[in-house]
Amino acid sequence: MTTFPVALAHDLPPGRVQRAFAGGRDLVLWRSASGRAMAWDNRCPHRGMRLSHGFVRGERLACLYHGWQYGTEAACAHIPAHPDLAPPATIRAAAYDLAEAGGVIWVADEGYADPPDMPLAVMPLRSLTFRCDLATLAWACGLEPAPLLFLPEHPSLVIAPNPLGPDRTEAHVLTAPLHAADRIAAIHQTEALRRLAEEAAG
Amino acid sequence: MTPTLYTHVLDAECYKVRLLAALLGLPLDCVAVDSYPGEETRSEAFLALAPAGTLPVLEAGGLVLCGAPAILTWLAATGDVTEGWMPQDPAPRAQMQMWLGFSQRLSATAGAARLEAMFDMPAPEGALAAAEACLRELELHLAIRAVDDGAWLVGDHPCIADIACFADVALCPDAGLLHDEFPFLRHWLYRLRALPGFLPMPGIHPLHELRAG
Repeated sequence: MTTFPVALAHDLPPGRVQRAFAGGRDLVLWRSASGRAMAWDNRCPHRGMRLSHGFVRGERLACLYHGWQYGTEAACAHIPAHPDLAPPATIRAAAYDLAEAGGVIWVADEGYADPPDMPLAVMPLRSLTFRCDLATLAWACGLEPAPLLFLPEHPSLVIAPNPLGPDRTEAHVLTAPLHAADRIAAIHQTEALRRLAEEAAG
Repeated sequence: MTPTLYTHVLDAECYKVRLLAALLGLPLDCVAVDSYPGEETRSEAFLALAPAGTLPVLEAGGLVLCGAPAILTWLAATGDVTEGWMPQDPAPRAQMQMWLGFSQRLSATAGAARLEAMFDMPAPEGALAAAEACLRELELHLAIRAVDDGAWLVGDHPCIADIACFADVALCPDAGLLHDEFPFLRHWLYRLRALPGFLPMPGIHPLHELRAG
């Protein structure tokens, strides 16, 4: 059981849906109109369509293909072709536990999400994907792989890395509260780190 | 007099023109040209109109304009009463021009990779990697713009360069380049799709979220 950082919370506003990855699982990540975030298998139980192509209607996620709607408990709530049918309780999306901590959305591939302790005063900066493995990303930071990478040469920067494979690692980057010019400098630092890591990875 | 646009439904360059016209509420007489698979753009009649043999072409009175950047410029100059789509001050005007130039890099890379994936039209060597570099560049620009709450490429209103870049970015999943790892691009695409009068095309959906449930 592992807990993965899958997105910055502010990149998923209410009513939005996106794709995410946790430990080899392909997920749909969405947030209801009232603000509840959810992570499910990225597969509609009806015809297997990626739910990340779907759209949010209030407290439900609708599949783009045939419009089947799933509520926040992951059970099918509405089938447009059979509007009078109460969908059987067995029709459900496969849901994973999710926690929001330190401005990051964390998802457990099984069991309960258990995010690492996050600094209190952090602001989301950006998420970017490195074309390298986690070890190379950590090396570029001057560190060993860890759930949180506090950059020794850039003390305000912390990275929550999400390993997607041998050639892909997401970096969810946060900073201490900074002035605009320093935030822009921090964005450029993330670009430089990625160049360094990707050159090392060849 | 309503301008005539020679267009193809799956062509990203033509879509840029139709999208801006829709957002500005300007009518166009659209003439479908069977550029693919019919190669109608190689016909004598079409080449007499547009010697390059490419879409889109706009005809208004005696004026003939070829290519999305020129047509977008003309539509905004003649049809945009708000003047928001084409900034007049020198600095934003030049920045808009810079991103119009960038849109042509996108078209030559992401656009070409899409045409190869969809229609087997050979793309230049390395088009996909170059397209990805373009997406990273645009993502970086939008990330920096967001520090000061900038939502668009230039200034506080979308300009014709936003439209020119939007089409190829929105359609690049057709070439296997996904938006998953570009959150600022995704937000910018979403904002554009949320504009009143937005026009979808095959591969670019309207926002279902905005309709009444």
